[in-house]
Amino acid sequence: MQIIQNLKVKESLYLENLENGLTIMIIPKKKVQKKYIIWGTNYGSNDSKFIVPGENNVTEVPKGVAHFLEHKMFEQENGRNSLDVLTDLGVNANAYTTNDHTAYLYECTDNFYEALDEFMDYVQHPYFTDENVEKEKGIIGQEITMYDDYPEWKVYLNTLEAMYHENPVKLDITGTIDTIKDINKEILYKCYNTFYVPSNMAMVICGDFEPEELLKEIKKRIIKQDKKGEIKRIYPEEPETIVKEKIVQKMDVSRPLFNIGIKVNNFSSLSSKEKVRKSIMMQLILNLLFGESSNLYKQLYNNGNISYLPVMDFEFSKTYSHVLISGQSNNPEELYENFKNEIKKMKSQNINQEDFERLKKTLYGEYIKEYNDVTDIARMFLVDYFKDVNTFEFIEQVSNINLEEIYQTLEDYFDESKMVLSIVKA
Amino acid sequence: MLYKEKQIKEGIKLHLIQNERFKTNLIAIFLSLPLERETVTKNSLVPMILRRGSKNMPTQEEISKQLENMYGAIFDCGIEKKGENHILKFYLESINDEFLPEDNGTILQKSIDKLLEIVFNPLIENEGFNKQYVEQEKINLKQIIEGRADNKSRYALDRCIEEMYKNTKYSLYKYGYVQDLEKIDEKNLYKAYKKIIEECTVDIYISGILDEKIIKYVEENSNLKNINNRKSKIKKYEIEKETEKQENIIFENLDVNQGKLVMGLKVPIQEEEKQYDTIIYNSILGGSANSKLFQNVREKASLAYTANSNYIRMKNTICINCGIEFANYEKAVEIIKAQLEEMKTGNFSEEDVENSKRGYIAAIKSIEDEQDTEIMYYFGQEFTNIKLDIKGYIDMIEKVKKQDILEIAKIVKIDTIYFLQDGSIENN
Repeated sequence: MQIIQNLKVKESLYLENLENGLTIMIIPKKKVQKKYIIWGTNYGSNDSKFIVPGENNVTEVPKGVAHFLEHKMFEQENGRNSLDVLTDLGVNANAYTTNDHTAYLYECTDNFYEALDEFMDYVQHPYFTDENVEKEKGIIGQEITMYDDYPEWKVYLNTLEAMYHENPVKLDITGTIDTIKDINKEILYKCYNTFYVPSNMAMVICGDFEPEELLKEIKKRIIKQDKKGEIKRIYPEEPETIVKEKIVQKMDVSRPLFNIGIKVNNFSSLSSKEKVRKSIMMQLILNLLFGESSNLYKQLYNNGNISYLPVMDFEFSKTYSHVLISGQSNNPEELYENFKNEIKKMKSQNINQEDFERLKKTLYGEYIKEYNDVTDIARMFLVDYFKDVNTFEFIEQVSNINLEEIYQTLEDYFDESKMVLSIVKA
Repeated sequence: MLYKEKQIKEGIKLHLIQNERFKTNLIAIFLSLPLERETVTKNSLVPMILRRGSKNMPTQEEISKQLENMYGAIFDCGIEKKGENHILKFYLESINDEFLPEDNGTILQKSIDKLLEIVFNPLIENEGFNKQYVEQEKINLKQIIEGRADNKSRYALDRCIEEMYKNTKYSLYKYGYVQDLEKIDEKNLYKAYKKIIEECTVDIYISGILDEKIIKYVEENSNLKNINNRKSKIKKYEIEKETEKQENIIFENLDVNQGKLVMGLKVPIQEEEKQYDTIIYNSILGGSANSKLFQNVREKASLAYTANSNYIRMKNTICINCGIEFANYEKAVEIIKAQLEEMKTGNFSEEDVENSKRGYIAAIKSIEDEQDTEIMYYFGQEFTNIKLDIKGYIDMIEKVKKQDILEIAKIVKIDTIYFLQDGSIENN
């Protein structure tokens, strides 16, 4: 195994690419009780149009298949549900679906290898029937309705709707009650066989392990299959422009919720290291603009526009990248205008060197803190893997970002014509 | 992991948790007071004022800058209801000195100083808090209270508990009441603060890579030296008398897409030890993916995505939560009641009991792997009459037998059924 050490956070990554194409990452943590394993496939709600290796025709499936498949993977031919089997072993198992990946996982203190038997068995053995597929539609239907009651979710989806013309990131991961009606077992098998192949998957384990021994145990449980060709994914062409600057939706909330989105173009062509550096810069810029010690925060807090710090993130995957700022505001339009003004001011070279150095220290501390919990560590490595970035690189790069690059990034990515405002209010 | 307690003064206790698993130090200060209608709003306003500025860091901006310079130390505060106690919580998390890029070696001490300063050395002007801060935070608190129904699932759960404990202190909303705010000003709030500091039970937790020298360091902190002994007024766990009560059914209408069903159960156990049996009872009923609720409401009947139950130990109350279509109310209630019957008739196996125990024990063993969970575990011990370390806790769960769970099942009673539905549906 390849060993990548990080001296700053004092952790090591053991990396192995198996012959069948599966990537395995182990981050050993001495003396902790908790063990965590996550196995993901680079297949999410965005992948609804593709060419199956060996075929010529384009396959297009209903929205929400990746998530539906995730729900149905637990069903087994012997009539038992793997989630039940794992729960019986005293392990806490779960799964989730995002825009770009689907992941299966469990957390435990004992019975790790007994659970591994079941875990690796079910992910490699789908069992779909007409009956079990139909039954799931009621459950997922209620999951969809549950999200309809989350104003945070609505304000977020509308932000994506405002930024993206075609990119499927703007669609509900779950699909809608209408689209899931058309899902059947044939579609599920086809997607499973296409995307659940070792070369499209990665596994991350964190806990008190001997990496070599663990690797051996994992290899034992892998089912041999022939290597398949490359999956061709077809994504619609996305214009660089936004769709519209503002979306307002009415919902029963006591105070308006807002999201500010900034669409960032041409990010996916950067090298892996550049992606890390740029996203550090984006976070630094956001903290300088609107962080806890910023003038903008102080001003909006004091005039009663906001009462807590908005959450600010730069999000990216292989197919999209954007800034998201979310929070509650008594006057989101005013906040939005102030935010834009603050960017203008900052572009005219008014970043204070002392603020910049201080916020770099803060970000360094934040990256260190991400290594407290085995769950967070394993998830972070998986998510970064599917984004094509090396997780340790964040801690390594943050100290050597300079102010000039910050101004350049500010100029390149904080483009007023790419900003949108989404509001949910009563 | 090593846990150590040291009483600094009467009613003021320091708890050290030496745990080398983390990259961070976490310091927590909990001020515990009896939950009272008269003080609930002022209590919840106080942390919001304290975080705005202290004597030596008079603005929020100043506090932020100092914490940012400590490699992003994070301050947080909050309010909690624990039985009939009101807890004001203050936290400071900072990275451990071992992980600093340069050797400066004092982040832990600094963190302790800062947190004690924010809690015990506030910004005072003319015998009161800063007037502007108080006026602003009154508005912010009003918004929090009025925003109570923004999260509909949480709201439904809160409302069910409120109905169950109507006319008792436990039904108070932890953030207080809008009508109280009008009468609050910077002077009377400061008075209330002084009374809180004089009377509350203080628990200080320090978790991380540390040694016992830190005890002396805390004891010598001038902000702590300045406060006096006090008699603890916290209400520990106590057995409640069983009361005869009809099943109470409440329908409420709000703008929701999905119906939120909450069923509140009372478990009138007469000995504290029976709580461990109740934990496993709850786990079989609705605590996991194997539970009766998950299997029957969700997997078999396809009525819900969410179907679970939670046990509130301080009140021996179990709350069942389901998100369902409005029209499925009767069906869901019927299935849930059938599950309670199944529990009563013992329609679960010895194996189910062992499996549930296994899952629960794994969760207990993980407590030490999460810094805040570990602190909350030890803090929870301040309210119980039985004191257990992690190992003792596991032993108690190990001892639970099927027969014990049947005893619980027999006494469980539905107290309240609460249903939140769409505004356009008529109640009958």
